[in-house]
Amino acid sequence: MINTALKNIRRSPYQALAAVSMTGLTVFVVSLFALVSLASQLILTSFETKPQVIAYLSDDHKTEQVNSLISDLTTTGLVKQATYVSKDEALKIYKESVGNDPLLLGTVTDLGIITADVLPASVEITAKSPDNFPTLVSILERSKIVSSTPNGQKEIDFPQDVISELTAWTRAIRTAGLILASILSFNSVITIMIIISMKIASRRYEIGTMKLLGAKGAFIIKPYLIESILYGAVGGVIGWLASYIALLYSTPFLAARLVGIIPLPVDPLVMLALLAVLVVSFSSLGLFSGLLAAVRFLKR
Amino acid sequence: MIVFDQVTKVYSTGNTILDNVSFHIKEGEFVVLTGPSGAGKTSVGRLLIRDLLPTSGSIKIEGVELAELKSGQLPDLRRKVGVVFQDYKIIPDKTVFENIALALEIINYPGKQIADRVHHLLDLVGIPEKDNLFPIQLSGGELQRAAIARAIVSEPKILFADEPTGNLDDATAKDIYQLLLEIHNLGTTVIMSTHNEKFLPGHRHIHLEKGKIVADTASSSHSKEKHKKADD
Repeated sequence: MINTALKNIRRSPYQALAAVSMTGLTVFVVSLFALVSLASQLILTSFETKPQVIAYLSDDHKTEQVNSLISDLTTTGLVKQATYVSKDEALKIYKESVGNDPLLLGTVTDLGIITADVLPASVEITAKSPDNFPTLVSILERSKIVSSTPNGQKEIDFPQDVISELTAWTRAIRTAGLILASILSFNSVITIMIIISMKIASRRYEIGTMKLLGAKGAFIIKPYLIESILYGAVGGVIGWLASYIALLYSTPFLAARLVGIIPLPVDPLVMLALLAVLVVSFSSLGLFSGLLAAVRFLKR
Repeated sequence: MIVFDQVTKVYSTGNTILDNVSFHIKEGEFVVLTGPSGAGKTSVGRLLIRDLLPTSGSIKIEGVELAELKSGQLPDLRRKVGVVFQDYKIIPDKTVFENIALALEIINYPGKQIADRVHHLLDLVGIPEKDNLFPIQLSGGELQRAAIARAIVSEPKILFADEPTGNLDDATAKDIYQLLLEIHNLGTTVIMSTHNEKFLPGHRHIHLEKGKIVADTASSSHSKEKHKKADD
């Protein structure tokens, strides 16, 4: 059966090329969108897991007041996590973030070494959703222990726009990818179906003879179904390979910009898992296309 | 074994090809279906494998009414009835070996034994060295032998040979007839249609003209003497 399918492919190499290139292009686009979608999700997760709202506290705050504020925030049910960062902890975080840079540590400036005194204590909040920021910020703004700027504005940092924008972009990328992948997959199905239909039609004499010799429908269509699966599988491998090459090529550019957010280069195991998913999906798509052509033939 | 009971076949064009035809063929018989071109001989073969359905009447093989078979049961019927087609129906882009092996693959014959079986059949039909040739490289007689080999390779109970000697010279036609006799002697019920009765004495003849049976001789046993006579 496989030999017959391979012989059918060899007999019409340009048809095979059309089917494989169409499927390959689809897989390439699907694979790229899958990677972009995964990356955007990782970026979003990275932002979401970091403290999103930071309220700086005045130096005269008391532990009970802080506990009361955290309690007010958590009882809303909109907070994933709310933690108090003391001046000492702030210094520790600062030192970790600047590393051994003597300039930033203040060891080579006239201002002297950076100490805990110059850094404010804070309450760091991770919200369940960026949509909850306004409610949380309004609670913080009412608190007396949150410090204010000289012009009376409370010192609260929250990247409302970044998260919202990122969420919107992630959704848009997913939607666009899904639409494009659906259109290309449909084209792949049609291409394979037409090619297999043409092959079946061109071998009508042989098929008719086989029927007269007592061949069952499954025996007759099996080589064509194997051929369809091969188009899907080979297209899957080629598309995946193209997307992997594109990813490896762009890794140096991306790695510099996504430090600490996405580990690059991408783990080969992730790529192998993607290959398996793509080959299985597009082999099934090939089988489906072949079945569409074969069912039309069997109904005649 | 085969019962045609008042079978009539009228094509959609209004052309009546068989008109109230009845006969009964017993298991192991060698029946010669004679008649001029257009008498309805080929239609009998096509009705036997349900490539056609009768307009009226009944056709039974081993008690099974062919008109009642579902499409899924047709392959089983066609495996029971081997046909040597008038136009051979040898697939042009397969070798002789592949054409004959195809009939075995269809019945799920064990893969490793296919080559042995095909070569045995090629020996039997007298073209052992032609296995790797394509149909276009064969003579008419060789093509006919290949078609016979394909028809009997799966050991059908019934063999319908449609004008197997039609386009052949006398010597080759005689060889083909001898081959069909050998197959018959192995226990196969053979129905051979022909418009040339030259080499066929001693068999039951059903003579068709314009779709009607005009003569049906009684079946007689094939004595060795009769066969010898035919050989001479």
